[in-house]
Amino acid sequence: MKPLALRQHATATGPVLRVTGDLDYDQAPVLRGRLDQLSLAPGQCLVLDLAGLEFCDSSGITALLAARQHALAAGADIVLAAVPANLLRVLTLVGLDQVFTLRPDPSAAS
Amino acid sequence: MCRTGGVPEPAGTGGEASTDAAFTALLEDSVEDLYEYAPCGYLSTLMDGTIAKINSTLLDWLGLDREAVAGRKRFTDLLTVGGKLYHETHFAPLLRMQGELRGIALELRRGDGGRLPVLVSAVIKYGTEGEPLLVRITVFDASDRRAYEKELLHRRQEAERARAEADEARRQAEADRARLAEALAVLQRSLVPDSLPAVPGVETAVHYHTAAPDQLGGDFYDLFPVAGDRWAFFLGDVCGKGPEAASLTSLTRYTLRAAAHHDPDPTSALTTLNAVLHERYTADGDPRYCTCVFGIIEPGGQHGPTTVRLASGGHPPALVLRSDGSAEFLPTPGGLLIGIVPGAPIGTVETVLAPGDTVVLYTDGLTEARVGAGRDDLYGEDALHAFAADHAPAAPREAITALTGLLQSFGDGLDDDTALLALGVPAAPSPLGPETGHAS
Repeated sequence: MKPLALRQHATATGPVLRVTGDLDYDQAPVLRGRLDQLSLAPGQCLVLDLAGLEFCDSSGITALLAARQHALAAGADIVLAAVPANLLRVLTLVGLDQVFTLRPDPSAAS
Repeated sequence: MCRTGGVPEPAGTGGEASTDAAFTALLEDSVEDLYEYAPCGYLSTLMDGTIAKINSTLLDWLGLDREAVAGRKRFTDLLTVGGKLYHETHFAPLLRMQGELRGIALELRRGDGGRLPVLVSAVIKYGTEGEPLLVRITVFDASDRRAYEKELLHRRQEAERARAEADEARRQAEADRARLAEALAVLQRSLVPDSLPAVPGVETAVHYHTAAPDQLGGDFYDLFPVAGDRWAFFLGDVCGKGPEAASLTSLTRYTLRAAAHHDPDPTSALTTLNAVLHERYTADGDPRYCTCVFGIIEPGGQHGPTTVRLASGGHPPALVLRSDGSAEFLPTPGGLLIGIVPGAPIGTVETVLAPGDTVVLYTDGLTEARVGAGRDDLYGEDALHAFAADHAPAAPREAITALTGLLQSFGDGLDDDTALLALGVPAAPSPLGPETGHAS
């Protein structure tokens, strides 16, 4: 298991949260806890940069959905950037590619 | 330890001068003084027990005056009631018989009413004719030793009590665990049916693999009749583990049953479930969801083909094993996880089951089983398709048996619950005998 690391930086359009490591049953609560602390203004866009995400199970997907819910509740938007191929396969399988805005590159978020 | 010779043991250490000084001091120690103030009690009694002589050490221990004891008391007068009894039944008869006794534990009564635990040795002095003259008794203070023994006993009793408590706690924990396991088993049975009902003209089979026996499963399935000689069935997988997953499973199962009775249409049933789950969980900021495939099977019987209509929300595609030996997935593109967004799109597909055709629903425990060292080395849909084509045609029971064997072959790689449900139309008895050609 790779430890989960979260790094956040602000951009003109909103916060970018870089997620690295494994997003699994044990570590997904860490992301959910961080999201609860994250303040978003209406019209901002939260970018989750997943380039360093090595593993994501259903608990991880639940955390991504919680992130989406958190953004929507604040009147903000959410983008998943640089989604790894394996996660993209699962997201497509369960139809979540229709729900999330996906972008290849976090720097293109603005 | 008692030396009978007159020469004391020389001290082993020290210089010549100090050794000589110690000798001198010992030689000056009179026999009377040694008797009176020895580090043990001495007394001598006549054969009737009357105390003739007693040393100062013992008088001191007992807090008695010599005048009140010598010639006036008997040895037994110094004993406690229990000691007297023991003296009469054991001590005196044994002493008379053997002529001596060693290390007898007794309690003496002190002048102040207290008790002194002692170890007593006694020897009879005989006359020249062999007649017993008197009894010489040595008394050692055993307070410390008795306290030590008591302490030992106390410790042992404590250890035994602690062990008994630990045994009791373990028994209690085992009983609790058994009760909990029973409760879980009952709940588990409320999440998936004990057995499938018999569907006329359709054969069914099911398998449920539980990854952790002490956890409620997150997979579910059901099969039940609805209006118009049709049967509804569903199979799915809720997010999460344990009791939270179980409560979601329960809500899902009963929502789907109620929805199907209201409107036996696959899309309608899943749309209702989506609305219920979204309203109950996700709208409150606690996203929970399931993937589910819901189907209606309408047995054709003698009158026509058996049709299956499926709707899916984010669930892996169903498999069909055809009677001609081929296998195919039934994709339901566009379907979304149930419970995430209001009005989620539902994917649908329809197929006709010819005699000998079997449709198999499964949860992703099967396709996501790890088959390599990495966390992402998964069995996958392509391998499953090849496996199905290898085993087609197969009646539902055969298909489930083959897939159960496949699950077992994953060993530790299978770390998720897995549900399998198969429905098929029995093959028509072939006039040419049993089929032998298995296409791969």
